[in-house]
Amino acid sequence: MDVFCKNIREHILRISHYSGHGHIPTSFSVVEMISAVYSIMHHEPSNPEWEHRDIFILSKGHAALAHYCILSNLGYFPIQDVRSFGAFNSAFGCHSDRHTVPGVEWSTGSLGHGSGVAAGIALSFKIKKSPRKVFVLIGDGEANEGTVWESLMVAANLRLNNLIILFDNNKSQLRCLPITKPSEKFKAFDCDVAEVNGHDVAALKEALSSISGGRPKVIVADTVKGWGCKTLVENMFAWHRRSPSREEMEMLLGELQ
Amino acid sequence: MRQHFKDIILKLAEKDDRVILILGDISVFLLKEFADRFPNQFYNIGICENTLISMAAGLSFQGFHPFVHTIAPFITERSYEQVKLDMCYNGVGGNLVSCGGSFDYAWDGATHHCYTDLELMRMLPGMEVMQPGSRNELGALIESQYANGKPSYFRIPADEHKLDLPAKFGKANVVIHKDSAALTIATAGPILQNVYEACKDLDVNLLYFHTIKPLDKEVLAEYSNTKILVIHDAFGLFEAICAASDASVKYFGIPDKFCCFYGTLEDIRTSLGLDVRGIRRIIQGELGELKCRSIK
Repeated sequence: MDVFCKNIREHILRISHYSGHGHIPTSFSVVEMISAVYSIMHHEPSNPEWEHRDIFILSKGHAALAHYCILSNLGYFPIQDVRSFGAFNSAFGCHSDRHTVPGVEWSTGSLGHGSGVAAGIALSFKIKKSPRKVFVLIGDGEANEGTVWESLMVAANLRLNNLIILFDNNKSQLRCLPITKPSEKFKAFDCDVAEVNGHDVAALKEALSSISGGRPKVIVADTVKGWGCKTLVENMFAWHRRSPSREEMEMLLGELQ
Repeated sequence: MRQHFKDIILKLAEKDDRVILILGDISVFLLKEFADRFPNQFYNIGICENTLISMAAGLSFQGFHPFVHTIAPFITERSYEQVKLDMCYNGVGGNLVSCGGSFDYAWDGATHHCYTDLELMRMLPGMEVMQPGSRNELGALIESQYANGKPSYFRIPADEHKLDLPAKFGKANVVIHKDSAALTIATAGPILQNVYEACKDLDVNLLYFHTIKPLDKEVLAEYSNTKILVIHDAFGLFEAICAASDASVKYFGIPDKFCCFYGTLEDIRTSLGLDVRGIRRIIQGELGELKCRSIK
């Protein structure tokens, strides 16, 4: 496991234990994806409003804890601040708020909104003839929402090749409405598609860096919910929203090694 | 009135390249001149209202002044969560300009009726809600509000009232004032014409609101010692007045049932008692009730 990503997972476990709030498995699912995006996108932690920055939107907002820990490790704010995660009046809600967290560009939570907003931002960059890009991370469960497909159809029609969608294919939706053959679906919606191991940072960076053609790009990231801890992987539904006790946290930290 | 909207938005685009027109495949022929003259500011996105709103929020986030234009039920009822979260909760501006409010699409039936839009928009924090009833009002309200960084809802009516009234955002008009009146009629939008014809010779006050939110509470306070009868072919004004006034407030307008018939706007207004005769009957009934109470 990438050292940076392992460090992020440790923070996620400790903060979840400390705060009593969770969504650990889904946060573990996206750690490498978000880390890879920030490693290649233009951004400036000391100036989150930098006018030339690229935009990242975590559309599956319930993985906010992973995003916070990554932003913190990149220098946006101290990790100690995130210990108030989910508490009354905390800047760091269980879904992120763009008005309170430096580096969070869009407040999310209700699924199926990020891709449409990202398409609007991508269009605005095209109008301005700006080279800036927009990255949006959506979940496979989120892709049950019709708005995901509606906005993709529009983005492809407008040839928004500055829009990059990361599809977290952790298969959690197998229990009700799975997104079967996602690559074929995205190709049918006229997007460029790359399939990668969603826990391989180098492969993700390579896929994110190669923008070609005049179409939106979708990176179908093969991921495992809870990846990094055997217990979480094997019991992902039970752990969906749980936070670990001290003993459980120690056990999970041990599994991370 | 949609023709007038075209003239307004053309004028705005001439001076402001941040104006972006986003259509839900409606008024496309009407707005062809805009598309020809300002191709980089014109996007007929498609029949996908949820995405229209989300994209408008994204454009606004980057400093543009988007105008989303389509039919009222689809921009407000279908896309309610996009307006609520992408525009209002995320705190970005943008202009939602609808046509087909209330029964303006009478001939298309209940699927195209929309009398909830004003109230739905009114309930959203930060939203400005306007129901202009004349060309003058439409132009004045759009020009003063389109670039203020707030989400704004404008409803373009099919018809207009013929009264010559000043139009200033947030300010109601006192159309009729009688010192002796114990009943104040309140209305909004083009139905003002019918209401005015119905009550101009009766002992009532008449207040007219083109801005539903923020409501002109000052003018309302001046009439709080009278009974207020809201006559409106939509929801929104009644609820706003109830929240703002201590007066006794009654509503006449939309029944608790679908209007499952077709025809013209006037056909539906008549069937609901929102024609001049029907409105006069309601007002006279209220006046009679007030008189009985004063005798008792």
